[in-house]
Amino acid sequence: MITGRGGPSGRGRIRPPRRQLATQPGSAKNDFEQYWAKLREALHDIHTHNAGNLSFEQLYRFAYKIVLMKSGALLYDRVTDFEGKWFAEQVMPPMSALITKNLVSITLDGAPGISVVERRALGEKFLRFVRTSWENHNMAMNMNADILMYLDRGYGEDNRRPPIYATTIGLFRDNILRKNLGATGSNYDVFDILNATIIDQINMEREGDVIDKALLRSCVSMLEGLFETDAEVELERLYLTTFEPFFIRTSHDFYRIECERLLREADARSWLRQTQRRLAEEAARCQTTISPLSEQKIASVVDEELIMKHLDEFLQLEGSGIRAMIDNDRLEDLKILFSLVSRVDDKVASLRNALSLRVMELGNEIEQNLNNTDFSIAQDVGSEETPGDGEKAKPKTLNATAQLTAAAIKWVDDVLQLKDKFDQLWVACFDRKAVIETALTRSFSAFINRFDRASEYVSLFIDDNLKRGLRGKTEAEVDIILDKAITLLKHLNEKDKFESYYQKHLARRLLHGKSESEEIEQEMISRMKRELGNNFTQKFEGMFRDMSTSRETTEQYRNHVRGLGEAEDSRVDLNISVLAGNNWPKEIMGRSTGLSDETKTKATYPPEIQSLQKSFFEFYTKNRNGRVLTWVGSAGSADVKCIFPKVPGKATGPLSKDRRYEINVSTYGMIVLMLFNTTKDDEWLSFEDIQATTNIPQPDLINVLTSLSVIKQFRILVKESQTKSAAKPGDRFMFNSEFVSKAIKIKIPSVSAANRVENDEERKKTDEKNLETRKHVADSVIVRIMKQRKELTHTQLVNEVIQVLSSRFKPDMSLIKGQIESLIFREYLERDELPDGTTADKYKYVA
Amino acid sequence: MAESDASASKYVTLASCDGFEFVVLREAVLVSSAIKGMLDPKSQFTEARTGRCYFEEINGIVLEKIVEYCQYWYKYKESVNVPDMDVPVELCLELLQAADFLGLDRKASPSTQTHHYYLFSKTPEEGFIALTYNDVGPT
Repeated sequence: MITGRGGPSGRGRIRPPRRQLATQPGSAKNDFEQYWAKLREALHDIHTHNAGNLSFEQLYRFAYKIVLMKSGALLYDRVTDFEGKWFAEQVMPPMSALITKNLVSITLDGAPGISVVERRALGEKFLRFVRTSWENHNMAMNMNADILMYLDRGYGEDNRRPPIYATTIGLFRDNILRKNLGATGSNYDVFDILNATIIDQINMEREGDVIDKALLRSCVSMLEGLFETDAEVELERLYLTTFEPFFIRTSHDFYRIECERLLREADARSWLRQTQRRLAEEAARCQTTISPLSEQKIASVVDEELIMKHLDEFLQLEGSGIRAMIDNDRLEDLKILFSLVSRVDDKVASLRNALSLRVMELGNEIEQNLNNTDFSIAQDVGSEETPGDGEKAKPKTLNATAQLTAAAIKWVDDVLQLKDKFDQLWVACFDRKAVIETALTRSFSAFINRFDRASEYVSLFIDDNLKRGLRGKTEAEVDIILDKAITLLKHLNEKDKFESYYQKHLARRLLHGKSESEEIEQEMISRMKRELGNNFTQKFEGMFRDMSTSRETTEQYRNHVRGLGEAEDSRVDLNISVLAGNNWPKEIMGRSTGLSDETKTKATYPPEIQSLQKSFFEFYTKNRNGRVLTWVGSAGSADVKCIFPKVPGKATGPLSKDRRYEINVSTYGMIVLMLFNTTKDDEWLSFEDIQATTNIPQPDLINVLTSLSVIKQFRILVKESQTKSAAKPGDRFMFNSEFVSKAIKIKIPSVSAANRVENDEERKKTDEKNLETRKHVADSVIVRIMKQRKELTHTQLVNEVIQVLSSRFKPDMSLIKGQIESLIFREYLERDELPDGTTADKYKYVA
Repeated sequence: MAESDASASKYVTLASCDGFEFVVLREAVLVSSAIKGMLDPKSQFTEARTGRCYFEEINGIVLEKIVEYCQYWYKYKESVNVPDMDVPVELCLELLQAADFLGLDRKASPSTQTHHYYLFSKTPEEGFIALTYNDVGPT
């Protein structure tokens, strides 16, 4: 059927094409042979580069006619035969000549004894020949395919034969590459030799030799252009099926040996750099020498052999492993290490663990150092007590407790330094990777919390800074210090412990006016609030509130007194701090209110003071009915104006005149001094007398008397026996009428007023108290949960309790269990009973 | 025309068996896969060296139409909605044969024994001359 689109004027005779082909029976055969003879000649000419005189049109027409004669199949086979013979006769003989025994033995059997230069020359010669014959063949086959184009169109496609080009190009594979080399006495085929030779060249390059990359690239692209079968399936490129597996396998061998050598050399630095270089080299090699198809695969060979297999061994190398890298700040090494480990393990487990381990070790070192320091301090204390050791007394009169405090600050500084260091590493080398940060944080927490004084030390660090460390610092610097404190605080597990220490330290700062800046104190509190929640800072805020109300109260009271118009002389100026009992630590509120069952002792104040107290109490309760005020002598201080009369018999010097001093002492100190107002000049008071008259608790009295009589600058009382040790029962005291001081105002340092590290006994007490507090906290949490849930199994209850408590401290299982038992005993809870009377694993809330 | 710049010239010559010659844009005639093969500078056949293709079995009338198609194709190859080319009905069969020879066809259904040749096509689906014939004859 013919559909013409010749327009409406479809008239005119359709001319049949002229059929020049004589199709008489019998002549077809002759015609075919005639055409084929021409074509065969042309094929030969093409191979020998003599195509210049051939007419494409003619050859194309011959093929065209053969196809029209339905002899396509015959032509197809003839061409294939021709090419096969061509290989056998023209290509293989020189090829075999090149595959010498030497080449076979060095490339495949790894025979030694031939120099690299020779090996390379042999290999290159062979590869060059392969390349040339391939290029010739490829060129010729392209031309063949062009003139036989009609064969594909008119015959091949209809009969499902692969394009003539595919078939003839495939002949190279069958006739050359897969040709067995039986003749040379080995069982290899050319392909084996080719692969081995290419690999041999690559290995030469890996060893640092220069090779002909372009040559290799063209041999490889030949393999990329050839397929397992003439169907030319994409995944069956010879490159992928034969060369690449071989390449990967030999690369494994190469890098395994290399890695073992590096391990023997035991230098992680060179290992890192070598690995990094190898990765870059292989990537470049895939681009320039072999195929980009292999880039991934060869990279994973390097990953596996050079990185993964011996990673841990390299990390642990003495002197250059991860430990040395961290300790010596080898940032670049760590950076490379991180990039390498990231390649093989997205979670970088090995690196992470190594870092954690190192953090723990360094943390332990800090603790160890601290213990050593502690030890030396203990020695100093010992030597201080031996008399006659005057020259060893240091210019800075650091006493033992101050040194302990210094140790605490050193610890905090060290920890912060360590943290800074790892933070920097994290930014500079580890790409701010989250899993590493988590691991670091976790190990920091671990070692900080393993150190049982951590809470106390952190609080002391803040205390020290707020007391004097911040003087003259810019806002930004202060900010950094606060940040550091908060960072450490976040790591602490036992926040309740920290809370109680901070409370104690803050109380001392507030009551003794030691705080450098209230603004910064407030800032600190608000930061804690932000990080740890409202509950945590409630008490601290209460303390601040108390202080500011107290200031107001003092002012009001002063106005009140002024209104009364009492005689000026006898007026004692009162500066009062009214403290709400809950907010303040118990030891500040007076030792007697502690947990121990000591009887509540009440110091006997001098009459002047007593009347003052009474007057204030009246004033205070006027507006506030029913309040009870307890005077805490240990927490206050007093300014005492003292007149030292001139000493008879002294004509010159300061002693010849009356001396007036304003002495600032603790409240108890004031009480003691007032006693000596009534004594005669040479009268001694014994320790026991003083205690009986004043009723000051013994430990406080010891502190007071020591501070007044031992240190030379402040020796207002003379002690007998005259030693440098603390006052003790049995000593006698007398007013030191020969006291001289250059300053008019003298502040007597209170022995107990400084915030310092607790000694072991104190800490034991603190811990006990803490445990007690925890029990209460746990009780309340359990009751709160049960009240809400009414019924819970043991596990559920414990889990919930742990969840709630963990923001304050790490609860101990036995503690929780104990408290549950105790609550059952106190009939807050009961064990649920099953119908048969046995107890179930369930608790019920008893309303 | 000198041999050296024959392969570089923008124009090539197509010659018919009865002595007509057409000088055509090289790029235009490359629409034919056969002519493209002839002129491939890599292969260095006579045609490629001289830039002249002689067709022993195509006469001037048919070759003129072929050339016209080449130009037509070249002009409109990147356009849509192109006007039809006029094909005289009486030339149909000869043109079909020549187009087949020169590889100007698109085969629509290679899987069947029935051949649909859409010659001189604008798109594979649309041809100026369409011919369907059953593959008969000696096998």
